[in-house]
Amino acid sequence: MASNEPGVSGGGSVDGHLSRRGFFGQAAAVSAGVALVPPAAAVAAAQPVEAAANAGLVDVAFKVNGEPKKLSIDPRVTLLDALRERLGLTGTKKGCDRGQCGACTVHVENRRVLPCLTLAVSLQDKAVTTIEGIADGETLHPVQQAFIDHDGFQCGFCTSGQIMSAVAVVREGAARTDDQIREAMSGNLCRCGAYPNILDAIKQVQAGDR
Amino acid sequence: MRATPIGQPVDRVDGRIKVTGAAVYAADNKPAGLTYGYIVTSTIGRGVITGMDTAAALASPGVLAVYTPFNPLKLFAYVQNQNDESAPPLQDKEVRFHGQTIGFVVAETWEQARDAASLIRTTYQQQPPVTAFPGPPAAMEKADTDAEGPDTVLATGVASVAQAVAAGEVTFTASYSTPVQHHCAMEPHATVATWNGDHLTAYTVTQGAVLSVRRLSETLGVDAAKIHVISPHVGGGFGGKWGNWAQVPLACAAAKALGRPVKAVLTREQVFTLAGHRPLTVQNLKMACTADGKLTAITNDGITSRGFAGSWSESVANWTLTTYASPSIQVTKTIVPLNLGAATVMRAPGEANGSFALESAMDELAERLGLDPLEMRMKNYATFVPNTGKPWSSKHLDECYRRGAEEFGWSKRPKKVRATVDGDWLVGTGMGTATYGASRGLASIKVRLSADGTASVSGTAADLGTGQYTVFAILAADVLGIPVDRVRPELGDSTSPTAANAGGSNSTCTNGPAVQVAAKAVQTELVALAVTNPKSPFHGKDPAEVVYRDGSVSSGGLTMSFGTLLTTCDVGSVEAVGTSPRLVDPEHGFRSFGVHFCEVRVHRWTGEPRVTRWLSVMDAGTIINVKAARSQIQGAVVMGIGQALLEATEVDQGTGRFANGNLASYLVPVHADIPPIDVRFLDHPDPLISGLGAKGIGELGIVGVAGAIGNAVHHATGVRVRELPITLEKLLGS
Ligand code: FES
Ligand code: FES
Repeated sequence: MASNEPGVSGGGSVDGHLSRRGFFGQAAAVSAGVALVPPAAAVAAAQPVEAAANAGLVDVAFKVNGEPKKLSIDPRVTLLDALRERLGLTGTKKGCDRGQCGACTVHVENRRVLPCLTLAVSLQDKAVTTIEGIADGETLHPVQQAFIDHDGFQCGFCTSGQIMSAVAVVREGAARTDDQIREAMSGNLCRCGAYPNILDAIKQVQAGDR
Repeated sequence: MRATPIGQPVDRVDGRIKVTGAAVYAADNKPAGLTYGYIVTSTIGRGVITGMDTAAALASPGVLAVYTPFNPLKLFAYVQNQNDESAPPLQDKEVRFHGQTIGFVVAETWEQARDAASLIRTTYQQQPPVTAFPGPPAAMEKADTDAEGPDTVLATGVASVAQAVAAGEVTFTASYSTPVQHHCAMEPHATVATWNGDHLTAYTVTQGAVLSVRRLSETLGVDAAKIHVISPHVGGGFGGKWGNWAQVPLACAAAKALGRPVKAVLTREQVFTLAGHRPLTVQNLKMACTADGKLTAITNDGITSRGFAGSWSESVANWTLTTYASPSIQVTKTIVPLNLGAATVMRAPGEANGSFALESAMDELAERLGLDPLEMRMKNYATFVPNTGKPWSSKHLDECYRRGAEEFGWSKRPKKVRATVDGDWLVGTGMGTATYGASRGLASIKVRLSADGTASVSGTAADLGTGQYTVFAILAADVLGIPVDRVRPELGDSTSPTAANAGGSNSTCTNGPAVQVAAKAVQTELVALAVTNPKSPFHGKDPAEVVYRDGSVSSGGLTMSFGTLLTTCDVGSVEAVGTSPRLVDPEHGFRSFGVHFCEVRVHRWTGEPRVTRWLSVMDAGTIINVKAARSQIQGAVVMGIGQALLEATEVDQGTGRFANGNLASYLVPVHADIPPIDVRFLDHPDPLISGLGAKGIGELGIVGVAGAIGNAVHHATGVRVRELPITLEKLLGS
């Protein structure tokens, strides 16, 4: 009978896990051969936790919320899992791991990116901003404050992604009408159905000309 | 006296941590030495596993263990029915549905576990899965089904409901169906388990920490006193996190076996197969009424699916028993077991689907009689509970109808269908009644006053996004007479006093009165301390002469805040546990009520339906926090719009696979689908449910939504769709 498919992935998964494994394996080899070779000592020192699986680790350095981070990681690790499992930044949420829900939305170089679809090793020298990095000390970002003012969330699980998207929508300035804002935010699902309140929150921030 | 915060729009007390990413959900926990589990699922819909080759997986880097039915983690049988799977995973080799748990790989990293899982080779002996209702009634009779009921009320002198229906001046028969749907809470099911000797700590998604303790105690064979469940924040539940699905026992048992903490998170695709769904239903309705529209008899034969792996099914026809006055009513329930995952409770179980049929049928019947749909409902207004004849504890649905009709502009509605065209859009309006049962259970809550001047309020309750944290803060602040921001609610910890789980629209009506009792009781404790502690300025006074008011203790001209008093006495805190008993009132019917009015536009060339205007008017007793309550109704309407227009989990009939079991193909509403949603509350306290007067609102808001939308679609186009969802191909050419 049929072999087993873990996860029984519907859409979104790469065509066959064997090929995925092969692909990532190759990508790792290529990366290691080209640009990302670190001093060997740094690898061992940086990530002792991964010692049990240190074969094929790749070094990568990027900034998160302004702080330089260096990782020596399995090349299969997504930016999302790097943030959550390696860097302790769990404010970014995993709702689908397939680019379908927007819960994980962060900024890379000020653009909205889905870290579940982005391999961490591809971020060399890039600047990543997460939900933990947008407030100014104790002062919330205006979008964060507007979400509280307008009750733009219930369970809060989609909220980090909604806020990161909303910050970009406000900054990009292209969406001005209600329908344009709704369209621009439609990659971020909210099963609690906070959509009308999120719209109001974004409009409050736009009215404040931020 | 301070003004009461009850009924005011209060910002969520957990708002700041939720907008900064600081709120900790189950999968955010990372105990030292954490390992990662990955569930392996079946690729057939029915059969027996004949072999699993795990050698390559075991040899894969970082892998610590591979558990299968051939090498299982021991899990004892489940005892408590939690509307989820009836048996623990991996304990036998039978495959009951496509996507069932058949293995669990644990490795040092998640990537290693996932990829090792892909190396397992499984062989099966396959059988054809049963994945749909048998079809015509004759086939249904021969099929392997269970039945419940009938539940019957008969008018005096009537021998049977069939006779009453046949005797009707006007009769109406129709069949309505609803598909499999999924909760799709944004947070996938997650459990992180860690043991300290024989004590287990489990960070897990749950609608009630005590449900998880109970399930783990049963299946692990561990004393509940040694199990600590921590679940302060849950990323949406909607019924899907009432049960403790496969990742819960697997993570906990593997962590014990391996001596390392284990995290297990379902992939989104696994959430679809492993964590329940709203079942497939059909309702066959027969109604009879007088020529002027008074119902004389209704029968509703409901058919519901049940997963072979589970035990729960919907009583889909039961909404017909309690909504409209009719001297004779009969409902039945036929349960068809299918090779799909366990069906489970999903927001307004039975009633969200049940109301789609009856609210559509009321409209159809009104049209046949030439009556306005609202007039039809008022003609059959149930002043008493239709199936018991008991009076209601309170019911202001007529006021909801009147106020809603006025504010929506219902009187301007054209009587004819297809009467309004706006460019390429056909415009229609519709309405639907909402009602959902209310009850008050047993709950205990602890209130603790601390030397720093804050009060904490704790109970095992859960906040799934419902605003329960803020409800606790508001109610305690009200009774203690202190600002809301000086109250620290603590939820989701199994070591707290046992409060209501989040389900059945029960949290606030059950926990609310207990918060009030505890906040009162702690004042007595504080006064007792004031008069007995030698360091207290009130020492030696008669407790009857010492009063607590607005956060302070006073007597004989001396007033001292509780924080200062505790500091003066060098006492960290005083506390009291308050218990509010279960309400037993067999004399009355308890329900929340409301009405939805909506406008829908259907594109005349593409058939695309769009909801463009919404008003809900709700009668749910005392509203504690009007801000969060409004959001909760809005959210339920959004989910109802999905139920009506978008959502159906497609079953591949050959294999039993959920063909669209992911968030790209299973369509939940997005921002662009949702118009402004106007919500009003009547705010009449229910005099019998509790002193607080609050009934529930969590499920009420979705009931009647699909019916209202179907009615508006019909008004716009003249097309009546009786099968959800109302997708554009059903409206093409309209
Ligand atoms: S987790 Fe990245 S889009 Fe869903
Ligand atoms: S707030 Fe719960 S999913 Fe958006």
